[in-house]
Amino acid sequence: MTDHPKNKLREKGHNALAIQFCPSCARYVFYPRELCPYCLEFTLEWREATGRGKVYSYTVVRKSVLSAFEHMVPYIFAVVELEEGVRIPGRIIDCAIDEVKIDMPVELVWKSEGAKNNPLFRPIRDK
Amino acid sequence: MELRGKTVITGMAELAPAINPGGRTSLGLLSEVAGKAIRDAGLQKAEIDGLLVTPPAEDSTFMWPAQVADYLKMRPGFLNMVELGGASGCGTVTRAALAVAAGLCRHCLCLSGGIEDEQIFNWGEGTMAFMSRAEIDYELPHGPMGFNSGYALIARRHMHQYGTTPEQMAKIAVEQRQNALLNPTALFNKKSINISDVLSSPLIVDPLHLWEIVRPCSGAAAVIVSRAVEAADIPQVPVFILGVGEACTHNSIVYSDDMTVSPIKDSAARAFGMASFRPADIDLLSLYDCYPITVIITLEDAGFCTKGEGGAFVESHDLTYKGDRPLNTHGGQLSFGQPSYAGGMSHVIEAVRQLRGTAGKRQIRRNRTAFVNGNGGIMSTQSSLIFGRENT
Repeated sequence: MTDHPKNKLREKGHNALAIQFCPSCARYVFYPRELCPYCLEFTLEWREATGRGKVYSYTVVRKSVLSAFEHMVPYIFAVVELEEGVRIPGRIIDCAIDEVKIDMPVELVWKSEGAKNNPLFRPIRDK
Repeated sequence: MELRGKTVITGMAELAPAINPGGRTSLGLLSEVAGKAIRDAGLQKAEIDGLLVTPPAEDSTFMWPAQVADYLKMRPGFLNMVELGGASGCGTVTRAALAVAAGLCRHCLCLSGGIEDEQIFNWGEGTMAFMSRAEIDYELPHGPMGFNSGYALIARRHMHQYGTTPEQMAKIAVEQRQNALLNPTALFNKKSINISDVLSSPLIVDPLHLWEIVRPCSGAAAVIVSRAVEAADIPQVPVFILGVGEACTHNSIVYSDDMTVSPIKDSAARAFGMASFRPADIDLLSLYDCYPITVIITLEDAGFCTKGEGGAFVESHDLTYKGDRPLNTHGGQLSFGQPSYAGGMSHVIEAVRQLRGTAGKRQIRRNRTAFVNGNGGIMSTQSSLIFGRENT
């Protein structure tokens, strides 16, 4: 296995990310692990995800006690179901708080925040 | 080993929850409540030969069962710490029943509670103390509000899938408050509230309002589990442990198969199976309530109504102590308070009180059986119990 996971997501271009896949189970895995949680073998490889998905559920945080987020309220904390079938937590940006809906199509966008580059999501709007 | 009816709750005690613990320590609270439970059972401390504890809120977890035993000058022959989050209280009772039924001890003391540390529970970066590595790496960068946002995600999804309404959720907080008005030790027992009060309280983490969110505090609770044969010799009405069941399907709610379905489906089925009971046989519901949505999902998954009908069930039943479906007659954690890990024990304690017939002004009339559920994390680990006044 190349590219042994350090359990970190990596940026793959502006709107894609690498997630793990087990070829023998034919299943994607998220969050990153050392072994496939289904067959418990060292089979995981990194695949590029489309970065597209839909909102599985969300909450609008009105009051945050996390110092990095106090000034951001209200913001949308969501769980997104990727096209690959796995769920990933993420904030929805470029989206009014009354615009977000369950099943809303979203796409990934990387955003540098402090020392980190975080995978966020924004609505896919009809062009 | 058959477990049904082999063990009985012989003693219990609970301290009044407190916002300000006034210089008390966790070990001090635990020893106070232990003494009360031992006297309640009519036992001597030297007769307690089993000790199960839930994790400390402020002390080091290292050798915690021994720390507690040493502070109380106890010499248990069976001891352990049970960490199942909010399900820990029920979890200690299940493990005590196992140990007693297997003959490892005769009287097992289950202790939980402590001093609330505002610095870690649900507050600020300290909330990491309650997070797994995966939650710190992949959730924290997006600003989740601890347990609040996890349950908000569940509530939002439940509303989307089944049409559950804010009013239905608020009614649980309202009727539990009515119960709390008759509980002298509840944190919030002065003022009744109505549905519009709840829905006009500040929206903290959409769709959860302030009065739908549990209030952490300090406190402690103790239960003593003994062999069923001891029932004849104890001063209290015996409460038999007729069924137990546990289940876990996920840790972070992000990765549960369906956020609206909890492992209670399995834990309750196991408990009902052992007891050979159906939901219709249950007189009292004592259900872990960190938020109203927890109660709705428990009602559905334990089989008191069909999936998705939890909101309608709440709407069509009177959940107060004098109602047709008494639920959380102590006020639930929403009105009683959540004294650390003893919050999940408060449901056990109230069930024992009601089955003994010692619940005072909020005593329910039909009090033969109780279903108790403990819920750990974000609808993660579940521990279900079925109690009966008779060992039949």
